[in-house]
Amino acid sequence: MKFRHLFPVALFAFAGTLFAQTTLNVITAGDQNMVDYVNNYLAPKFEAMNPGVKVRAVGTGPGDAGSQKIYEKLSAQQKAGNNEWDVDVAVIHQLASATMVNEKLLMMYRGDVSAGKLVSRDTAKNALGANVDGYVLPMFHSQIAFAYNPDTVKAPPKSFVELNEWVKKNPKQFGYNGVKGGMSGVGFVTGWVSAYSGLADKLEKGPYDASSQAAIDKALSGLKEFNQYVVMTPGNAGTLDMLNRGEIAMGPVWVDMFYTWQADGRLNPKVKLSLPSPGLPGQPMYYVIPAKAAHAALAKKFIDLAESPDVQAEGIVKQFNWYPGIDPQFVQSKMDAASWNKLFTDISPADLSKYGRPFPLSSYFKDITEGYERVVTK
Amino acid sequence: MNRQRAIALALIAPALAVVALFFVAPLAMSLVVAFRSKNGAFTLEHFAKAFDFYSTDLLFTLAIVVLSTLLIGIVAIAIAGYLTLGGNPRAVAVLRWLYRWPLFIPFVVAGQVMRTFLAKNGMLNHVLIGTGLIDPLSAQSLLDWRGIVVAFVWKQAPFVTLLLAGAMASLEPQHIEAARNLGARSMRVLIDIILPQVRGTLLVGLVLSFVTMLSVLSVPLMINPNSPTMITVDVAYRISTHGDYPVANALCLLSLGLSAIGAAFYLRHASRSSVATS
Repeated sequence: MKFRHLFPVALFAFAGTLFAQTTLNVITAGDQNMVDYVNNYLAPKFEAMNPGVKVRAVGTGPGDAGSQKIYEKLSAQQKAGNNEWDVDVAVIHQLASATMVNEKLLMMYRGDVSAGKLVSRDTAKNALGANVDGYVLPMFHSQIAFAYNPDTVKAPPKSFVELNEWVKKNPKQFGYNGVKGGMSGVGFVTGWVSAYSGLADKLEKGPYDASSQAAIDKALSGLKEFNQYVVMTPGNAGTLDMLNRGEIAMGPVWVDMFYTWQADGRLNPKVKLSLPSPGLPGQPMYYVIPAKAAHAALAKKFIDLAESPDVQAEGIVKQFNWYPGIDPQFVQSKMDAASWNKLFTDISPADLSKYGRPFPLSSYFKDITEGYERVVTK
Repeated sequence: MNRQRAIALALIAPALAVVALFFVAPLAMSLVVAFRSKNGAFTLEHFAKAFDFYSTDLLFTLAIVVLSTLLIGIVAIAIAGYLTLGGNPRAVAVLRWLYRWPLFIPFVVAGQVMRTFLAKNGMLNHVLIGTGLIDPLSAQSLLDWRGIVVAFVWKQAPFVTLLLAGAMASLEPQHIEAARNLGARSMRVLIDIILPQVRGTLLVGLVLSFVTMLSVLSVPLMINPNSPTMITVDVAYRISTHGDYPVANALCLLSLGLSAIGAAFYLRHASRSSVATS
């Protein structure tokens, strides 16, 4: 009975694939919300504008690990000498973009799309110290911040030093996810090292100096002591889960995940955000086109749509709670004030520009994450 | 004779090819990568790094798996023993029906279930608090090594029980009846009469569980990915975040060393029983 009902549906689905002549393959690193964004929001818009085109989005998983998979896929096709690669648009993290530009896996395309002129932030040219100018367009920026429950935390710590005192007075009330459970934990660790090593500027701007390892290790040994007073959470979502269940009172989270969970009713609406001094890192995700993408022209069109002020306003900011990838002035004018302000309820634009920092250069980044395993967790 | 040999070889060739292609070749590649430095020379640096970073995790892995194996043994003996000797036919029937359920649940689902079940404000603590067994302030999260052990025992005990209960059922009932006629209690019958006869099966079940648990990634990843954690999580982390295959391969070889201990037990038992039957 049920199968008979399914049959026409299957037939339509089959017919659908027959009529769509071209498939635009979009592959994206990051959490499931990235795939949802492309599939549920961008794809229908793009398909309506380009009859005969079908957008297919695939996710490769959260964190730099997801970008690493994309890198390995493209690198394999390059080494095999293929003339057409099966990825048209990729969405990747900063760390991978530096490697991929270096190994000539990407196409220089910013000059070919009109939205290329709308980007203003330094991250469009510089990814963790590597020059990626022209190869990338930021899809959005996201930021790590402390989420806290104001019922139990009346005055959230304003700096890492205050946090260090706070956890001693409130043991096991702060939680984060280490370096193996997602980027919000990694960002907390790099933020800690920036705050306690005295190297904040050098870690972000370079030049790389291997002898900084001693200062980094010293900062990390402070973190080892700090860890005795905190709870380790299982992942980015794990921190939010534990906050929601009241098992911890504070922890570092991604701002966009935080707002999305609150909007979905998965997180206590009372929980708030704060950005401590001297800051926590944030990062963009980049749209890139592989050097030998099979449908490069369509890919450019797709990114042009994705970077247009309307899509950035409606999709990136309003629906998915990310900070825009293009210059905010083009986006703000497309939005009602209430939706725009929602993004800045807890963290003001001034705080964001002061305390929202980039991740350290990739060599320092590696020194810090490996140092964490050597100094803190051993 | 030669012809027969050729036919025999041809018959096993596909199986051999599969083993060579999908097991021996990757293992050899893993060996090569683990011992090769950037310029292609032989090196132990990846093992040095693996020990430097992950020696705690290696010990942690071994401790968790050994503890889980022991607990699985106890649970399996208890359940299989009751299924064989239990006096209440209804209770035996219910237990027989219930105990196999976890067999059909994948590890990743078991991990996910435990994540909500064992959390500080999870279901287990809610029940304990609700029944007044513990007070709310003393509730603690079990999502650390204990969570991993609980998930492993829950998942693997039915497997060993299945083997063990089968072996117990095929024993000669006269032995049990004779012991009972002479006044032995159930516990005595289980330990002195039944267990010695099914020792081999128990050992095989436990060794297989030991090796399986060593290779599980999903459970530690979901319950306790932070240190100390199991070696599988470290392997995944080295590859996925650092693209560091050499150290990952070194870790894989180390965990292969651990499972070789299990394999040695298994082979010794297998060769002994094949001698006994021949």
